[in-house]
Amino acid sequence: MEKLKRDGSFYINPYLGGVILGLVLFSTYYITGRGLGASGAVKSSVVTVVDAVAPMHAEQGKYYSKFLSADSSPMNNWLVFEVLGVLAGGFLSGAIYGRLKIKVEHSPKITSKTRLIAALAGGILFGVGSQFARGCTSGAALSGMAVLSASGIITMIAIFGSAYLFSWFFKKLWI
Amino acid sequence: MREELFVSGRNIPNIDPYLNIWHWQIPIYLFLGGLAAGILFLAGIYTILGKEKEMQATVKWAPFIVPFALIFGLFMLFLDLKHKLYFWQLYTTIRLQSPMGWGAWVLMIITPISLLWSATYLREVFPKWDWKFKFLYTFEAWAIKNRKLIAWPMVIYAVILGIYTGILLSAFNARPLWNTALLGPLFLVSGMSTGAATIMLISKNHEEKKIIGRLDLLFIIIELFFITHMIMGSLAGSQVQIDAISILIGGQFTVSFWVFVVLLGLVFPAVLETMELMGFRIPTIIPVLLVLFGGLIFRFIMVEAGQITRYLY
Repeated sequence: MEKLKRDGSFYINPYLGGVILGLVLFSTYYITGRGLGASGAVKSSVVTVVDAVAPMHAEQGKYYSKFLSADSSPMNNWLVFEVLGVLAGGFLSGAIYGRLKIKVEHSPKITSKTRLIAALAGGILFGVGSQFARGCTSGAALSGMAVLSASGIITMIAIFGSAYLFSWFFKKLWI
Repeated sequence: MREELFVSGRNIPNIDPYLNIWHWQIPIYLFLGGLAAGILFLAGIYTILGKEKEMQATVKWAPFIVPFALIFGLFMLFLDLKHKLYFWQLYTTIRLQSPMGWGAWVLMIITPISLLWSATYLREVFPKWDWKFKFLYTFEAWAIKNRKLIAWPMVIYAVILGIYTGILLSAFNARPLWNTALLGPLFLVSGMSTGAATIMLISKNHEEKKIIGRLDLLFIIIELFFITHMIMGSLAGSQVQIDAISILIGGQFTVSFWVFVVLLGLVFPAVLETMELMGFRIPTIIPVLLVLFGGLIFRFIMVEAGQITRYLY
C-alpha cells in the first residue's frame, strides 16, 4: 500500500474528493462569507497588470474600472490568496503521493506542443467565457449551487453540457 | 487683532508623524546582509569543526556569493544616501552611540574577510587563475594554511553583521514597532535561515543538504518563536507598543505578513523540509525559494510598517 501510494498512481476516490471539496466550500462560506473561486484571481491579476501598464486605459475601461479603487489594490482579494493556497496544497499533495514531476499529459497520438496550444486556447476561451458568465466552475457553478442559486445550476449545466458535446470533437487530444 | 505664531513639532515632512525616508534599497540591503552573515557563519563554523571535506558547498562554494551580496548591498545603501558623495565620511568617524556607524565599520571588516576567504578557494574553482605576483602566492599559501584562524573572526563578525541588520532598526526609539530588543536576534536567525537555504540550493551532496536542511528547520522554528514573542512582548507593553504591533495583527500589513512571511515563507517551507527529511522527494528549489522570498518580504514589511508606527502624543 505504501509503495502504491508513493509512485504517483494513487488518486483520491472522486466521491470522497467531492465530499471534501463540499466541506471546503462550506467552511469557506463560514470563514470568509463568500464561496470559492478561481477565475477571479486571474481577473485580479489581469486588472492589476493593465492598471500598472496603462492606468488611463484601465480607468476608462468599463470592465477594468469596476475592479479598481483608490485605496485598495485588486490583488487585495480573498480569491488571490485562495489560489496561492491551492498551489501550495496541490504541491503538498503531489509531494506526498510522489507526483512531483514536470510533464505534459496528452494522448500518444499528438505531441506535447499540440496539447499545450490546445490547453492555452481552451484556457483563454474559458477565461473569457467565465467573465461573460460572471464566474467560472468554482465561483459561479459550485459556489452558486451551494446556495441554491438558479444561475449556479444553469452555469453547471452549461459548462458540463457543452463540455460533453465538445469533447466529441476534441477527444483526440486525450485518447 | 492679535497675531499668533504657532510652532509645532508635528509637521516635519518625511520624519513626523510618519517616517518616510527608507525605501526599497534598505530592505534589499538588510536581506543581502543577513544572507551573507548566514553563509559566512556556517562556512566558518564548519571550518572550525574541521568538516571542509564533508561540507564543500557550505565552506567553499556558497561563500563566493557573499562578496557580491555585500558589495551589492553596500551599493543599495549608497543609493539610499541623500548626499552620495559624502559616504566616505562614515569611515572618518567613530561614534559608539551610532548603530549606522557600527554597521559601516562591521561591513568594512567583514567584506575584506569574505573576499579573502573566497580568494583562498579561487584556484580550486579556476585552476588556471594566475595571481601574477609572487607575494600574492605567498599570501595565498599563508591564508590557506591559516583558514581556521580566519574562520574565527569571520564567524564572530558574521554574527555581529546578522544582529546589526536588526539593531539598525531597533535602535530607533521613536518607531515603536522597531524598538524591541528581539529584532536583532530575529534578523540574525532569519539571515541564518536564508543563508542555509542558499547553501542547500548550491550543494550537490545529499548528506550536506540534509545537515543544512535540519539546521534551516531549526532556524525557522526559532524565527517563529521570536516572531511570536515579538507580538506577545509588544501586546504586553504600553499602548504605544500595542498600537504599533496591531499593524501586523489586524492592521494594514496583516495579510502580507501572515500569508507571505509566516505561512509561505516559514511554515510551508518548514513542512516541506520536514517531509524531505522524512524521505519524501521534494525539489529543493521550492522550499529554498520560499524561504528566500519570505525573508525578503519580511524585511520589506518591517521597514515599511516600522516607519508608519509612531508615539502617541
